[in-house]
Amino acid sequence: MSFPLIVFYVLSAILLFSAFKVVTAKNPVHAALWLVLAFFTSSGHWLLLQAEFLAIALVLVYVGAVMVLFLFVVMMLDINIEKMRAGFWQHFPLAATVGLIMVAEMVLILASPQAHLAGYEAAAPLAADASNVKVLGLQIYTTYLMPFELAAVLLLLAIVAAIALTQRERKDGKYVDPAMQVEVKAADRLSIVKMAAVRDEPVINETNEPQA
Amino acid sequence: MLQNYFPILLFVIVGLMVGVGPIVLGKLVSPNRPDPEKLSPYECGFEAFEDTRMRFDVRYYLVAILFILFDLEIAFLFPWAVVLKEIGMFGFGAMLVFLAILTIGFIYEWKKGALEWE
Amino acid sequence: MEFIQGLLGEQAGLVVWTLLKIVAIVAPMMLAVAYLTLAERKVIGYMQLRIGPNRVGPYGLLQPIADGVKLLLKEIILPAKSNKALFIIGPILSIAPALAAWAVVPFTDTLVLANIDASLLYIMAVTSMGVYGVIIAGWAANSKYSFLGAMRSAAQIVSYEIAMGFALVTVLMVSGSLNLVEIVNQQGRGMGGGSILSWNLIPLFPMFIVYLIAGVAETNRAPFDVAEGESEIVAGFHVEYSGMAFAVFFLAEYANMILIAALTSLMFLGGWLSPFPASWGLLGASGFIWLALKISLVLFCFLWFRATFPRYRYDQIMRLGWKVFIPVTLVWVVVVGAWMMSPLSLWQ
Repeated sequence: MSFPLIVFYVLSAILLFSAFKVVTAKNPVHAALWLVLAFFTSSGHWLLLQAEFLAIALVLVYVGAVMVLFLFVVMMLDINIEKMRAGFWQHFPLAATVGLIMVAEMVLILASPQAHLAGYEAAAPLAADASNVKVLGLQIYTTYLMPFELAAVLLLLAIVAAIALTQRERKDGKYVDPAMQVEVKAADRLSIVKMAAVRDEPVINETNEPQA
Repeated sequence: MLQNYFPILLFVIVGLMVGVGPIVLGKLVSPNRPDPEKLSPYECGFEAFEDTRMRFDVRYYLVAILFILFDLEIAFLFPWAVVLKEIGMFGFGAMLVFLAILTIGFIYEWKKGALEWE
Repeated sequence: MEFIQGLLGEQAGLVVWTLLKIVAIVAPMMLAVAYLTLAERKVIGYMQLRIGPNRVGPYGLLQPIADGVKLLLKEIILPAKSNKALFIIGPILSIAPALAAWAVVPFTDTLVLANIDASLLYIMAVTSMGVYGVIIAGWAANSKYSFLGAMRSAAQIVSYEIAMGFALVTVLMVSGSLNLVEIVNQQGRGMGGGSILSWNLIPLFPMFIVYLIAGVAETNRAPFDVAEGESEIVAGFHVEYSGMAFAVFFLAEYANMILIAALTSLMFLGGWLSPFPASWGLLGASGFIWLALKISLVLFCFLWFRATFPRYRYDQIMRLGWKVFIPVTLVWVVVVGAWMMSPLSLWQ
């Protein structure tokens, strides 16, 4: 067995175990962290397929960004996990059956002669300095220009949706815009008034009443 | 290409070991004398008032979501930047359109006050 | 290498040889971290008209070792209601990425452990995982201060990562490669013939400033250290940590500082290239010593910032990240792109 193949099996074992823990973990934070491990291991799989850029981008985007959001959400909302998990084991047999049927279907399709799996050759090992990123870049911005621009529109949509869902004005905020604070000049806050150095005439109180 | 990643695999393992080693060593060498006061969470001498895992300002989620979106944008910029000299003016124009669309989103964020902290 | 392979067989020999190389990077790293803590106290001491630690060893040179031994002998407290396993995993997850990123950092044009093509992307991905150590530690400790500190810190780290990413994009544009060796070599080819004039520092100066400041914010250093904010949330995410578990966080923070300094030197300050033209003989020769000097210079700036600037308020930090750095970097990406497309391009 070659070294990459050993790595493949080790990664697969970790991936399956962590994916299983994602659904069975009692604590949602634990589940999210197992999912992080699952993403990380699957990026290892992509690396084994020599998809260097995609593997690292998976870590960068999913592990480094998406899962941070997930963790924020599960840490900061008091999710009553007991209530949500009630009936988990009760429905487990049904879910397991559905899952098994799906696996069986996939095996049937992939193992059928029409799939020609044996016809595909393994990818030739790339040279040590082969650049995945360059090849990808030359394709995305020329051949696949339209999907690329559509991705921008999708991202724009996501920005607008995220803001529409979460944005609300606070009435009790004592907020001061830091931009305004930064722009303040000394002259706005302090005015120096020139006064003549003279003493007022003493006022003579004629009625002799005590002064306040 | 894969042979280049082998040292990285080892390095990640060594990095984990550098974290695990001192803590295990510390556990072995240092005393362990727990008492209830020592183990209670620090709250300036008071007993803890309520559960720590409280609800949080929705702004933190918004920052995390916006971060994902911009991170994706950067992921798109990386291959572009690498091949910019090859794809020339056409590629530059493609990215200008991409950035222009996202700048609309950024301006929307700004105007809606999604970037304010209060 | 052949000797070890002959001794242990080809496969095992390769593993042992690589491990030796890794130790040759990690051990000096740890030493550098230890003495950076001493340098910090000394530098800030002198800036504030004190002399800093001077009791342990000559000029206080053994102080980091004494600190290490003290931390080793202190009890590691596991808070009562904490999540014990995650509490211990927190510091480990913060040091592992800080070290793993060093796997692809080149020290000279030939001396690099793993010369992968996408080394810069790898570093970005690995360092973006550092935020997990902070979040997990803050949450696992079950203390309000640590939770608040962790949330602040996480939001701050992710905000500045965007500005950092855009700054990196401009570097990639001019060098046309994600490989750090290639990025440095490209800086030696400009019109200054490898001297300071051809470094990225000059044409990308605004990005250099953004990257440096974002680097300070990413490592939660003063003046952006609201995550620790000892005057309001005592010590932030690691308030419940003690002994070696705390020491590991400390190591991670300083290892990250050195990493940021190294990346700044490689991407903007010409890495191992000499600031003088190659024709100046020994002074113009490139070598690791120049990289070390540049890293030290950037690290000195980190310490200098801490000694001089008052702490930023949290809303000001977020404003600087989102409303100043991101627009500036976005505009500069377009400016550099247009510059490269124009006949005035420096990077043909």
